[in-house]
Amino acid sequence: MDATTGPHRIPPEMPQYGERHHVFEMMQSMLEQLLIHQPTDPLQFMIEHLHRNNDSVPKIVVLGPPASGKTTIAMWLAKHLKTNLLTLDSLLAMDHSELAEGARRHYERKRSVPSVLLVRLVQERLLEDDCISRGWILDGIPETREQAMMVQTLGITPRHVIALSAPDTVLIERNLGKRIDPQTGEIYHTTFDWPPEPEIQNRLVVPEGISERETVQRLLRHHRNIVRVLPSYPGVLKVISADQPCVDVFYQALTYVQTNRRSNAPFTPKVLLCGPVGSGKSLQAGLLAQKYGLVNLCCGQLLKEAVADNSRQGKAIQPFFEKEMTVPDSLILKVLNQRLNQHDCVHRGWVLHGFPRDLDQARLLDSVGHKPNRVFFLNVPLDSVIERLTLRRTDPVTGERYHLIYKPPPTMEVQARLRQNPKDTEEQVKFKMDLFYRNSAELEEFYKQAITLNGDQDPYTVFEYIESGITHPLPQRVP
Amino acid sequence: MRSASTPGAAPGTMTTYTYTSRPRAPPCRLRYRNGLTQQPDEPLPFGNIMYDRRVIRGNTYALHTEPQRGQAIDEHVQKLQETKKRAAAKKRAQEQLRPRTPEPVEGRKHVDVQTELYLEEIADRIIEADMECQTDAFLDKPPTPLFIPAKTGQDVATQILEGELFDFDLEVKPMLEVLVGKTIEQALLEVMEEEELADLRATQYAFEELRNVELAEVQRLEEQERRHREEKERRKQQQWEVMHKHKETSQKIAARAFSQRYLADLLPSVFDSLKEGGYFFDPIERDIELGFLPWLMNEVDKTMEHSMVGRTVLDMLIREVVERRLNTYEQKEDKHPFLKPEDGPGGPGPMRDPTTGDEFQEQRSLPSTEAPYEKLIEEEEEEEDPIGLRRSLGREEQFQGRESWEG
Repeated sequence: MDATTGPHRIPPEMPQYGERHHVFEMMQSMLEQLLIHQPTDPLQFMIEHLHRNNDSVPKIVVLGPPASGKTTIAMWLAKHLKTNLLTLDSLLAMDHSELAEGARRHYERKRSVPSVLLVRLVQERLLEDDCISRGWILDGIPETREQAMMVQTLGITPRHVIALSAPDTVLIERNLGKRIDPQTGEIYHTTFDWPPEPEIQNRLVVPEGISERETVQRLLRHHRNIVRVLPSYPGVLKVISADQPCVDVFYQALTYVQTNRRSNAPFTPKVLLCGPVGSGKSLQAGLLAQKYGLVNLCCGQLLKEAVADNSRQGKAIQPFFEKEMTVPDSLILKVLNQRLNQHDCVHRGWVLHGFPRDLDQARLLDSVGHKPNRVFFLNVPLDSVIERLTLRRTDPVTGERYHLIYKPPPTMEVQARLRQNPKDTEEQVKFKMDLFYRNSAELEEFYKQAITLNGDQDPYTVFEYIESGITHPLPQRVP
Repeated sequence: MRSASTPGAAPGTMTTYTYTSRPRAPPCRLRYRNGLTQQPDEPLPFGNIMYDRRVIRGNTYALHTEPQRGQAIDEHVQKLQETKKRAAAKKRAQEQLRPRTPEPVEGRKHVDVQTELYLEEIADRIIEADMECQTDAFLDKPPTPLFIPAKTGQDVATQILEGELFDFDLEVKPMLEVLVGKTIEQALLEVMEEEELADLRATQYAFEELRNVELAEVQRLEEQERRHREEKERRKQQQWEVMHKHKETSQKIAARAFSQRYLADLLPSVFDSLKEGGYFFDPIERDIELGFLPWLMNEVDKTMEHSMVGRTVLDMLIREVVERRLNTYEQKEDKHPFLKPEDGPGGPGPMRDPTTGDEFQEQRSLPSTEAPYEKLIEEEEEEEDPIGLRRSLGREEQFQGRESWEG
C-alpha cells in the first residue's frame, strides 16, 4: 500500500461514531481528570475513569439567599434526577469521618464551620462511591469566595450553577412564613406551600432564626459574599428569579440542568427539515447553506437533476415523471444515497428537505446509514400556508417570482401579466397538507430528538431558532 | 407352705395327704422397716419370684447348700472340707465299731461256705468265649448285569435262496447307467466350470490390468487437480490477506487522520475548560487575594483601633479633668457664690478634633467658670453617649467598610 493507490477517504462512519458517543467530550473530561489528579500510573487511571463512565452524571451547585427556596429546589432536583443532595446538615451528619466529627464539634460551639474544614469535608464526601456514580447537588456551598476558590483548586467543578435571586423585601416576608416538618426535613410555607395532609400540618414547627432582624442579617451577609462567588463560574451560571411560584422555578432549573454545555467537538451538521408544504423549508435550507456552507439537498431537485443528467437512475425515474406518479422509495433512496456519499456532503454536512415523508422512508434513510443529527419540524397553521402559497405569482416575461403580500410586484403592468402556478391552487395545497399531516405523527415519533419550531414567524427569526438548535448540543433527557 | 393354712392336713401324720392352696404371690420381707411402727393392716409387699434367692436355679444335680448369709465363701469351703473330714472320720469310726467275725485260730483259715439250699459255683474266672467277626475287604460294586427282559413271543425263521427274488445284473443296469451317466455328467460339469473359471479369471486379470492403468492415470490427474486447487487457494488466501492488510492499513490511517483531526482541538479546550473552572489561576493574583489583602485589612483595622483607642483615652482624660475642675469650682462656689453663665462651645469642640493636645484642652477649659462647667459636663455627658454610639457606629461602619472591601 503506498501513496499511489487511490484517494483514501475517511469512512463517514467514523465521524458519526464520534458524534454519537460524544468521544470528544469523553476525551476532554478524561484529560481534565488526568491533569487534576496527576496519577503515577496514568494508563490505569484512564482505564478506571473510562470504566466509571460518569461524565453525564449531574454536578450541580444551587446558591441563593436564605428563604429563596433553594433547599426545596435542590431537594426536588435531587429526587427528579435521582442523585445525591449535599447540604451542610447532611455533611455534618456523615458518620465514619473524623472531619465530620471535628466539624460537628465546631458547629456546636460556634454555629458555623471553618471554610477549610468544610471544603475538606465536601471533598471527602464527593469521593464516596454514590457521589461518583450518581452525581451530586450542593446546596448552599460554596458560600464565600474563599470557599469557592478552595473548591475550585481541588478540581471540583460543577457543570451547572443555579443562583436564585429575589428582592429582599419578598424574601424577608417569605421567611416569616417558613415551617419545617421535623420528621422528613421538608420545608413548607404558610401561604405558598401548605401541606395537604392534616397530620403533617400538626407536626410542623417554626424554625429558629426567621425573625425579620435575623433574616436581614443573613441577607446582608449573603449579598456581601455572593457578589464575589458568582464571577467564579462564568460559563455555567444561570440566575433564576425566585420571585415566581416554586414549580416555575423548578422547571426552569430542570430545563437548564438538562442542557449540555457547548463543547469544542468538531461537528458536521446533518440537518433534516420537516414540515408541510409552504412552511419555508427550502428558504431556511438556502439560508443555512449560505451561512454555514452546508450542501442544500432538496429531494425533488435531486430527482429532476438525475433525470436531466440522463443517468441510469434518471432513465428509471423518467417514466414516473412522465406519468406524474410518485417515484418509488427505492429509486429515490438510490439517488439520495449516491449524492450523500459524495465527498462534499460528507465533509461539509448537508441540509435535507422533502425526503422522508413517512415512516418507511425514514427507516430506509436510517438503514443506509445517513442519520441526521438535527431534525427540525416547522409547524405552520393551515391559514398561513394557504396565504403564503396561493398568493404566489410568477412573471412570465422576466421569470421573477412575486408574492401579492410579502413581495408585491413593482408596477401595475407587471401585476397584470402575473400568472399562478397550477400547483399553488387552494385544493392542491390542502391536499398536500393533508398528506403531510397524516404521516407527521409517525415521523415525530421516529425522530425522538427533533426540535419543533413555530414556522409562522418572520423567516429570519425562524432561522435564528434553527441556528441555535444546530449550534447548541442536544439536551439530555433524564432516563 | 404352712400347713396351718390348709384345712385338710393334720400335722405329724405319715398318711398320704393332699395339699391345696389358693395361688398367691410369695410375700417378700422388706429389708428395712417402713417407719417405727409396723402397720399390720398394710398389704404385704410382693416379691418377684424371679429374683427370689430361695428358689434354686440351674443345675440341681450337685446340690449344694447355699452359704449362710453373712459367711464368706472360703469359710464355706473350709466348712465343707471339715464336714467331709468329719464324715470320713465318723465313717471310719463306725466301721471299726461294726461287729465282725473273729480272726481265725492259729493254723486255720477261714473259708467261705455256701449255706443256701442250692449250691452255686462261684468261680472267679468268668467264662469267656472268643467270637470273631470280620467284614470282607471292600469290593467294587460289580457292573450291573444287563437287563435282558424275558423273551416273549415266538421265534420264526425263513430263508431266501439265490435266484428267487430278482436278477441282479439285469436290475442293476439302468441304475448303473444312471449313476455312471450322472457321474460323468458331473465330471463334465466340473471341468466346464473349471474352464469357465479360468476364463473368467483371465478376463478379470486383463480388466484388472486395464483398471490399474486407468487408476494410475486418474490418480495422476487427481494429484494434478489437487495441486492446482491448493495453489489456487493459496493464491487466493495471499491475495485476501494482502487486501485485508490493505484495508486495515487504510482504515488505520483513516482512523489516525480522523482522530488527529477530531482531537486537534482537545488540548486547548481542556486547558480552557480547566481555566474556566478555576483550577488554573494566576498565583500572584491568588497570593495577593489570600495573603496581601487580608494583611492590609488587618493593618487598617489596627490603625483604626489605635485611633479609636486614642480617642477613648482622650475622652477619658477630658472627663477626668473636667470632673476635677468641676469639683474644685464647686468647692470654690461654696466659698464664693457668684456665677457667670458662659456658652460652652468648647464642649463639643474637643470631641471634634482629637488631635489637639490634652494641655490645650485643659487650658481652654480653665478660664470658664463653674456653671458653664456644669453645663459643659452635662453636655459632655450627653455627648459622650452619642459619642459612644458614634464610636460604636463608627466601628460598625468601619467593619462594614472593611468587609465590603473584602466581600
